[in-house]
Amino acid sequence: MIKLLHVEDDADIREIAKMSLELSGDFVVEQCDCGEQALEKTLDYIPDVFLLDMMMPGMTGRQTLEKLRENPDFANVPAIFMTARAQPNELEELRGIGATEVISKPFDPMSLADQIKAAIA
Amino acid sequence: MSWNGKKRHSATGFVAGSALAGGWYAATSALLSGTPAQTVPVIGAIAIASLVPLIAANVRATPARATVDDSVAQQLRVLKMHTMVNVVDTDNLLVEVNDLLLEATGYTRKELIGKPVAMLYSKDNRTTATEIRDLLRQGKSWQGETTLRNRDGSNCVTQTTVTPLLDANGRWIGSISARTDITSTTKLIARRDTAMTLHELRDDIWIVSEDNLELRYMNLAAKARFGWSTRPKNGQTVRDMAAERGCEDVLDACLRMMDIGDTYMTFSATISGTNFEGSIKWLNKGTVDGRLLIMLHDITERLEQEQLQADFISMVSHELRSPLTSIKGSMGLLLSKAAGQLPPKAEGLLEIAHRNADRLVLIINDILDMEKISSGRLDFELETADLSELVAESLRANATAHQRFGLQIKCHGVDMPTYIETDANRIIQVLTNLMSNAAKFSKPGGTVEISVDKTPENVCVSVRDEGMGIAPEDQHKIFQRFADMANSDRATKGGTGLGLSICKAIVEGLGGTIDFVSKEGRGTTFTFTLPVKTRHSGPENDFERLENVG
Repeated sequence: MIKLLHVEDDADIREIAKMSLELSGDFVVEQCDCGEQALEKTLDYIPDVFLLDMMMPGMTGRQTLEKLRENPDFANVPAIFMTARAQPNELEELRGIGATEVISKPFDPMSLADQIKAAIA
Repeated sequence: MSWNGKKRHSATGFVAGSALAGGWYAATSALLSGTPAQTVPVIGAIAIASLVPLIAANVRATPARATVDDSVAQQLRVLKMHTMVNVVDTDNLLVEVNDLLLEATGYTRKELIGKPVAMLYSKDNRTTATEIRDLLRQGKSWQGETTLRNRDGSNCVTQTTVTPLLDANGRWIGSISARTDITSTTKLIARRDTAMTLHELRDDIWIVSEDNLELRYMNLAAKARFGWSTRPKNGQTVRDMAAERGCEDVLDACLRMMDIGDTYMTFSATISGTNFEGSIKWLNKGTVDGRLLIMLHDITERLEQEQLQADFISMVSHELRSPLTSIKGSMGLLLSKAAGQLPPKAEGLLEIAHRNADRLVLIINDILDMEKISSGRLDFELETADLSELVAESLRANATAHQRFGLQIKCHGVDMPTYIETDANRIIQVLTNLMSNAAKFSKPGGTVEISVDKTPENVCVSVRDEGMGIAPEDQHKIFQRFADMANSDRATKGGTGLGLSICKAIVEGLGGTIDFVSKEGRGTTFTFTLPVKTRHSGPENDFERLENVG
């Protein structure tokens, strides 16, 4: 089972993502509604993959990842961004800041699990 | 009374009977009742009439008016010397001109007499001439500015009064024009207006001499930028401005232009953190009067506006996509039976909702693209790409639609790689759009053909369908946004009405062309060509901040 930490401020999207991933039977999903909560959560939880929303109140997904990466335990944990702005050049830039994959919103709930598995394989 | 009849007043020998004839009749009332501005040319007209060896025998004289005294006669003499006068007959042929007109225009009397008066007018005045003629026919005078064309081709701007000559029966038999040369006044006014305009312009204007780049002039805006209320101090140069006032970009531009030798160039400049668009015009190049006219346009406000617009679009995009993610996600999960089996009717309705949510996503993407196109910020990421692979990827993206319509897909020229330098993602977008259109407008079970051809310089891609075709009356608007076509049912077909205009912008942005041929009932072929190597056009303007991406 893949341990995934999902950081997303929109409760509806959190629910859909959790349902999609758990339906596949391959993921155990923990969720936080902001970057600050994610930093707190990771004090005693080491996921296999981060799934981060980009634009959130407080810390953005990018800032959250930068903070997480300060902890050597998470230096190599793959990070996948979700973004509502998926222009090709922006995807490239997100990869440039350490994203393993960028998934654009709206995502397809039936292929989300496969997309993440392919990205971290 | 004839035009060359007897003198009416001995003391006014100058004012011959002719002067008191038709010209007098028509003109004196204007003289006597006119405003000062009207009076001068009119008096001149009367004066010249005295010289005219005239035409009609039965022109009406007005003896009662022949009481002009010596002082008026003297004034008339002076005015004759002061004013250009010409007389024409009803065919607009010149009958008489005075010396002043000859002197001003450079013609000899012989060259003008008997010729159409139009030869004296510059082309711009031809319409005015018709207008004057119509008024004269009605017995009315005309006053205004006319431009005469001198013998040497130069122009002479005149304040003119034209008055009809009437015979004893009140019939129009010709006209007299009196003109005052106002060319120099006009030039002075134009020069003053230009100076005033430059001075009060919101853009910064510098004028510097070409030899040592010394500042000769700065307008109000330019001086205010440096906190100056007086003109730049003597001897101050653009080099000093670069060293002391942070105007290095202006100095660089001046030197660059003079080095290249062009007489005009544009440049970008930053002065103390303010961004400008600049232009330099080299006036009187290479002469002692050689000057550089530098114009700096502050673009701070424009950049702020662009940033605001980009932020707004980014925000709208995010705000629309987030709820759509939940809507589409929920429907997707329901359709995949994540919540159990659905009754067939419910599933059908859910499919409609899901398909339309997809359509909304496409619309948002297209609107974002259109915004980028209209603000000139459609960026391209050039890379070497295999066109055959791009075709294959686009086919995969359209596979569902092709299956849905039971289409047969034929490809030509994609067995071997065709490498081009282009923006792969944008070309996939174009191909996907064309294939999707071909599928939507095909008859079920029809064929869609995709062909790739290559020449040393270009590649040519065409997508052909056997669909309903485009009505001839709609063909001209095919690349317009939201073009309303007779047979384009967007609600059913699922298009946004923006796709083809975006395709056109992308292909043209990449240096190519796009076109189509269509026969109603037979099908349509869209073809686009691209250069094998796309040149980067202009600097990249990426105003979007990643912090705004969510």
